[in-house]
Amino acid sequence: MHVWKSLGERRGLIKKTKAEFSDELPVGESVRQISRRDFFRFSSLGFIAGLAVSCKSKTVEKALPYLNAQEGLTPGVAQWYATTCQGCSAGCGALARSRDGRPVKLEGNPDHPLNRGGLCAIGQAQTRGLYDPARLKQSRMRGEDCTWKALDADLVARFAEIKGRGGKVRVLGGTLLSPTLKATIQDFLGGFKDGKLVTYDALSCAAIPAAYELTHGRKVLPHYRIEEADFILGIEADFLGTWIDPAGFTRAYASRRGPDNPRPMSKHVQAEAGMSLTGSNADERLRLAPSEIVPFLEALASALGSGNSAGDLRKELSTRAKQLAHELGEHRGASLLLCGANDLHAQLLTARINHLLGNEGRTVDLARPSLQKQGDDRALADLIEEMGETRVDVVIVVGANPVYDLPAAFTAAFAKVSVRVSLALTEDETAKLCTHLAPDHHWLEAWSDAEPALGTLSLIQPLTNPLLHTRQVLESFLTWSGQAQAVLDHLRAHWRKDVFPRQKAVADFEVFWNGVLQKGAVQLEGSPASPIYREPLAPSLRAWNGVRAGNYELLLVAKVGMGDGRHAFNPWLQELPDPITKITWDNYISVSPAAAKGLGLEQGDLAALRPQGHPELTLPVVVQPGQDDRTLAVALGYGRREGAPKGWKIVGTNVYPWRSLASGFLAATPAALQIRKAGGRAELAATQDHHSLEGRELVREMALATYLRDPASARPHEQPGPSAYAAHPHGKHRWAMVIDMNKCTGCSGCVIGCQVENNIPVVGREEVAKKREMHWLRIDRYYEGSEADPKVFHQPMMCQQCDNAPCENVCPVLATVHSEEGLNQQVYNRCVGTRYCANNCPYKVRRFNWWEYPHASEVERLALNPDVTVRSRGVMEKCSFCVQRLMTAKIQAKNEGRELKDGEALPACMQSCPAQAMVFGDVQDPDSQISHAMRDPKRFLVLGELGIGPAVSYLTKIRNAESIEAQGGHHGA
Amino acid sequence: MAPENHTATLPTPLLVEDEQERGYGHVLPLIDGNKTYSQVTEEVFSTTERMPPLKWWLALSVSLSLFLLGAWAVTQTVTRGIGTWGLNRTVGWAFDITNFVFWVGIGHAGTLISAILFLFRQRWRTSINRAAEAMTIFAVMCAGTFPIIHMGRPWLAFWATPYPNTRGPLWVNFKSPLLWDVFAISTYFIISLTFWYLGMVPDLATMRDRAKTKIRKAIFSIFSLGWNGSNRTWSRYETVYMLLAGLSTPLVISVHTIVSMDFATSVIPGWHATIFPPYFVAGAVFSGFAMVLTLMIIARNVMDLEEYITVRHLEAMTKVIIATGMIVGMAYGTEFFMAWYSGNDFERYVFLNRALGPFKWAYWSMVTCNVVIPQLFWIRKVRTTPWMIFILSIFVNIGMWFERFVIIVTSLHRDYLPSSWAMYTPTFVEVAIFLGSFGLFFTCFLIFTRLLPVIAASEVKGVLKHEEH
Repeated sequence: MHVWKSLGERRGLIKKTKAEFSDELPVGESVRQISRRDFFRFSSLGFIAGLAVSCKSKTVEKALPYLNAQEGLTPGVAQWYATTCQGCSAGCGALARSRDGRPVKLEGNPDHPLNRGGLCAIGQAQTRGLYDPARLKQSRMRGEDCTWKALDADLVARFAEIKGRGGKVRVLGGTLLSPTLKATIQDFLGGFKDGKLVTYDALSCAAIPAAYELTHGRKVLPHYRIEEADFILGIEADFLGTWIDPAGFTRAYASRRGPDNPRPMSKHVQAEAGMSLTGSNADERLRLAPSEIVPFLEALASALGSGNSAGDLRKELSTRAKQLAHELGEHRGASLLLCGANDLHAQLLTARINHLLGNEGRTVDLARPSLQKQGDDRALADLIEEMGETRVDVVIVVGANPVYDLPAAFTAAFAKVSVRVSLALTEDETAKLCTHLAPDHHWLEAWSDAEPALGTLSLIQPLTNPLLHTRQVLESFLTWSGQAQAVLDHLRAHWRKDVFPRQKAVADFEVFWNGVLQKGAVQLEGSPASPIYREPLAPSLRAWNGVRAGNYELLLVAKVGMGDGRHAFNPWLQELPDPITKITWDNYISVSPAAAKGLGLEQGDLAALRPQGHPELTLPVVVQPGQDDRTLAVALGYGRREGAPKGWKIVGTNVYPWRSLASGFLAATPAALQIRKAGGRAELAATQDHHSLEGRELVREMALATYLRDPASARPHEQPGPSAYAAHPHGKHRWAMVIDMNKCTGCSGCVIGCQVENNIPVVGREEVAKKREMHWLRIDRYYEGSEADPKVFHQPMMCQQCDNAPCENVCPVLATVHSEEGLNQQVYNRCVGTRYCANNCPYKVRRFNWWEYPHASEVERLALNPDVTVRSRGVMEKCSFCVQRLMTAKIQAKNEGRELKDGEALPACMQSCPAQAMVFGDVQDPDSQISHAMRDPKRFLVLGELGIGPAVSYLTKIRNAESIEAQGGHHGA
Repeated sequence: MAPENHTATLPTPLLVEDEQERGYGHVLPLIDGNKTYSQVTEEVFSTTERMPPLKWWLALSVSLSLFLLGAWAVTQTVTRGIGTWGLNRTVGWAFDITNFVFWVGIGHAGTLISAILFLFRQRWRTSINRAAEAMTIFAVMCAGTFPIIHMGRPWLAFWATPYPNTRGPLWVNFKSPLLWDVFAISTYFIISLTFWYLGMVPDLATMRDRAKTKIRKAIFSIFSLGWNGSNRTWSRYETVYMLLAGLSTPLVISVHTIVSMDFATSVIPGWHATIFPPYFVAGAVFSGFAMVLTLMIIARNVMDLEEYITVRHLEAMTKVIIATGMIVGMAYGTEFFMAWYSGNDFERYVFLNRALGPFKWAYWSMVTCNVVIPQLFWIRKVRTTPWMIFILSIFVNIGMWFERFVIIVTSLHRDYLPSSWAMYTPTFVEVAIFLGSFGLFFTCFLIFTRLLPVIAASEVKGVLKHEEH
C-alpha cells in the first residue's frame, strides 16, 4: 500500500519502501536481484492465493473461455473471457485476459455492437480496482465488522418491521445497466407498500429524456448514431471524451473521419465554452458561453423555420447560427445536433431541431434508445425532499456515491433516514454515513449482465473467485427478498424468461446462452416502434432566463481520465495526462488567456473561486487557449477523501458542491462568480509544457477540398540523406505501424492500455512535475494559430523503432539492439544506464528508472502482467511494440503449424484504440493492412529528414474545409 | 653518513641550446635568486622531509571536507538512484557530464606543458611541468569518476570494457563514442602517469639519497629504479623521456577530440557539429592553463616558490590563455554562423535559445568569462601581476565549466519535439558531487606537494645560469 506514499512524498517514499521491503520481502540487499525473483515469488503467490481463495468457495461455477474453450488451465497461458466493462455506465464489451487465475488486462471486445473493439482509458484501468487495497474486506454494521449472517438477520428484521407498518424503502442507484439486477431490485421493492428505485447520474443527462417525454411522450435517451451523420454540430457535448458513451461514439465518429472512405468525410463543428477533447477534434470550433447555449439553439431553430429567436445573442454568433442552420439543412436526415447541457430548454430545442432536420430514425435513434444514462433528477429531488421530511425508512445505495457528488442538501436529508445501507466496494463518502455496509464484488468477480442500448445485451462473467468476503449486489437483494438462489441460476432464469423470448434466431436456450457467453454480446432483432414527435406535447418555451449573473460564468466539466470521480483512487487514471492540458494529478480552474490577463492570473497561480451562495474553493489556475473569455471551467470528480488506500493524499478539489438541483436538473447554478487571486502558487504536474509547434513540420495538415482535387499532392517530398552504416537485414517479418491522425482523437485509451500491458510504474505527482513520467506512449498535443482560437493536433508518440536508430549507435554496452524483425530492442539486464540513448533519441520516448519504483502492495502486484519484466532502478525502458504479444501470436501460429495471419499480432495500444486509428503489421507481407497503409499518399514520417528510418508513420490530418489558412509550419494548401 | 647527493651535482644537459642565444635571456631569468645546485636541492626536497605547516593542514581539512561531502553525495546516488539528481526524461545529462568534460579539459594543460612544450624546447616549462602533470593525473581521476557514477547501475560499469566473458557474442559496442571515451581516458591516464613517474625518477633518486630513515630509503630505492646518475642512465632516461613525450603529444589532441565526439556524432542539434574536435581541444588547453595558473599562483605563494615559478612563467601561460581563448571565442561565433548558414531550423533554434532562452544566463556567463575577460591579458601589467592573473584564471575556470554546461543542457532541454521540452535544475546532491570532485582534486594535490618534489629539480638545474661559477 505504500505506493500511495510515493505519490505524496518522494523522499519519504523511498525510505518507506526500503523499510517495507526489508520487512516483508526477504530480498537481498542488491537491487539487481529484486525484479526476477520477486516476479516469480509473486506470480506464484498470485497463483497460490487464487487456489487458496477458490478452496473457500461454496459453489462451483463454470466460466467458459472466449472462443477457444480449453480443457483446464495451462499455467502460463493466458485465457481470454468476454465480459462487459463496468467502469462507467456506457457498458462497453470487453475481453479480459486471465493469467493463472487472475485477471491482468482488459481490452475492447470487437464483437460488441457498440464499442466494437475499443475501450477507453477508464475501462482499461479497471483491473486496478479489483486489486484496490482499500476495498472493504467484509460486511460491516454501525462501524464494526460483522458476519453476513448477522447483517442479513438485522436487515431482514428491520425490513419485516417496515413492511408491517407500510414504511418507505428507497433504492438509490447510479445507472444500473443490468436488466436482471433492475428486475431483482423491483422484485425486492415490490414486497413493500412504498418501495421505489431512484436513479441518478453524477454526470447527468436527465434533461434529455425529460425533453423527449415532452416532445415524444416517451422518456428516452436517444441512441445517437454518429456514424450516420455527415454533419455533426456538438454544443457543449464532449461526446468523444466523457459524454454518455465515449468509446462507442469515438468508434462511430472515427469511422467517418477519413477522406478515403466510401462514404464522404463527416464535417464536425463544435460550439463550447471550454476546450474539450471533442472540440479539439472539430473541423471548426466556436466559443459559446453556457448562457449562450439556449439563445444559440433558438437562433438555429428560428433559422430552420421554427419559433422566434430571443435575439439576445452576440452578432457573430447569430450570423454563425444562420450559416450552421443552412449547413445542417443541406444534410437533412444525415445531420446531428448534440447538446450536452443538462437543461430542459436546451434539450427541448435540440429535440425540436433534430426533428426539423429529419434526423429521427436516422441519426437519432429513438426506437432502440440508449440506456447508458438512466438518471432521473426530478425523482432525485423528490427523494431528497422525502428524506428531509423524515418520511423514508430505508435507503439502499447501489453504485453511487451521493454524499460526495450531490449537493449538500442530500447529505443533510440522508442523515435523517434510520436505515442507510451501502453496497459500495470501499468505504466511500456515502458508506461512511451508512449504518450497514454490504460490500459488492468487483465486477471482475461477479456474474451479471448489461443492456447499454435497448436490445443490445451482454454478459459479465467472473474471472476470478472473490478475493475478499464480499457479496454480489444481486445476491444481497435476493437474500433480502428471501430468495435463496445462486446468482448464476437467477441470471440464467431471468435470461430464459425475459431475454431469450425476445429473439427468434436461436431455438435452444442453452445454445443461445453459451453463444452470448462466448461472444460477449447479442443484438436482439426486431425493432420496437419509434415514438413520434407530437407538436402539441411540446410546450411553448418560456423566455430563457438563464442569463449570466456576473462577469464570469461557471462551467463544470468531466475529465477524460477521471470521469465522475468514482475511480479517483486509481493511480493509473490520476497519472493519465489530460488529453488537452496534459496535467496529471489535479483539477484546476481553466481560464482563457485574455481572461487570465484581465484577472492578473498566471498558470499555476492559486485562485479562490466562489459562485454566489456556495462555498469558496481555492484551486490552481490553468490558462487554456481556445476557452471562452467569460467562462471559468473546473473539472468534477476530484477531491475524494473517503475510500482511499492508506497514505493517499487528497488529489484536487471537490467542486460538486457548486452544483444544485435548482433548475430541476443537476447543473451548475447560474450565479455571480467571484474569483480572486488567493496568493501562492501550486506546482502543476504537466507532462507537456510547450504547446507550439515552433513552425516545425512535425504534423501535417491539408484541407479536404485540396486533398480530393489531387490526393497525390499529400505525399511529402523529404529525402533522407545517406547513412554511414549498412542497412539492417530483415528476417521473415518486419513490423511497422501507421497512425491515422484523422481518426485519432487523443482520447488516451492507448496510454493506459500500454501502461497496464507493460507494467509501467506510476511515479506520482512530484515526479511527473519533474518530467519523469514513465509512459512509453504519450500523446503530444500541439496548438497552432491564435491563442483565442487555436487548432489542436493530437499525435501519439512512442518509440518509432527506427531502422537506423540513433539510440543503438551510442550505447556502449549494446543494451539496445536491432532485431531482424525491425524492432529496436531494449535489453534491460544488459543496460547500465548511461542515458546516452535517451539523449540521442530525437523523439524523447525513452524512459529511465530514476528510482526503484515500488509496485505497490502484494495485492496490487497481482495486477502486473507476468509476461513483462518489471524493470529495476537505473535501466532504460521504452515501447517494444508489445514484443511479448507478437511472440505469443507467433508461438500460437507455430503450435498450430501455420503462418501468422495479418492482424493476429497486435500491440496493446492498437487493440483497444476506440477510434481504430492505428494500423500495425508486417510490411514484408504485401497484402497486409499495414502494407496498404504504407502506400497511402498521406503517409509521412516525423523527423524523416534525419534519415533514421522510423517504422512508425502518420497520416496527414485532413480538415473538412475548403482551405487551410496559411500559418507557418504546416503542410498543405 | 651524510648524503652524497651525487645525482644532483651533475648538470643535466637535457636541453642543449643556450637561452641567451635564442634571445630569451634578456627578458627575465627562468629561475630567480642566483640559485646554486645544492640550494635547489635543499629548497625543493626539504618540504617533503619535514612536518607540513599549519596552513597546509588547514587547506587539507577544507579539501578533505569537500571530498567527504562528495563521497556522501555519491553514496546517495548509488544507494538511492539517479533520481536524487535533477535530471529528467528530456535532460539525461547535466552536471555529471559537464564535470567530466571540465575535468578532462583541465588535465590537458599538464600534458601540453610536459610533452608538447618539451618537444618544442620551451625551457620555461621546467619549473611547472611536475605540478602540471600531477594536476593532469588528479584531474583525470576526477573526470573518470563521473562516467561511472552517472550510470544508473554503476556496479556494472565494467561491462563497458571488452573483456573475455561467458556471455557468448555479447560484447561492447565499438560504434559508441562512450566506449571510445573509455579507451581514450584510460590510455590517457596510463600514459600521463607513466610520463610523470619516469620524469620523476632522477628526483626520486635524490630523495632516496637524502632519506634519513630506513623505510624511506627502501621505498624510494624501489621507486627510483636503481638510478645511479651515470651518463648511460642519463642517456637512456632522456631517450625514454623523449619517446614518452612523443607518445603523449597525440593524446593532447585525441582525448578531447574523442570526448567531443560524444556530442559530435549524435543527432541532437547543438551537439551534431564538425567543429567540435578542434574547438574542444582549444577549450581544454584554455581551461587547463587557467587551472595551472590558479594552482601555481597559490603554490608559489604558500610554498615560497616565487623564485622557481617566476612571473615569466606566469606571463608565458597568460599568452597561451589569450591565444586559446580567442580560438574558443571564434568557435562560438562559428557555431552561430553555421547554425544560420545551414538553414536548419532545429539548429538555428538551439543557438538562438542558447543566447536568448531560459539558460541565457549560463551562455552569457560563458561568453563573458571566456571571451571578454581574458582580453585584459593584452595589458602587460595584468600579465605580470600574479593576483590579477589569479582572478582572471578563476574566471576562465568558471567560464569553461559553463561552456560544457551550455553545450550539454541547452542542446538537450529543447531539441526536436517541443512536446518534450523541459527545464533542468540541479539538486543539492549534484552540486555536492561537483564540490566533492574539487575536494578530491585538492586533497590529492596537497598530499602530492608534501610527499614528492613539486619542482622537477633535476630539470631546473639544467636551466640555471652558471656565470658566477
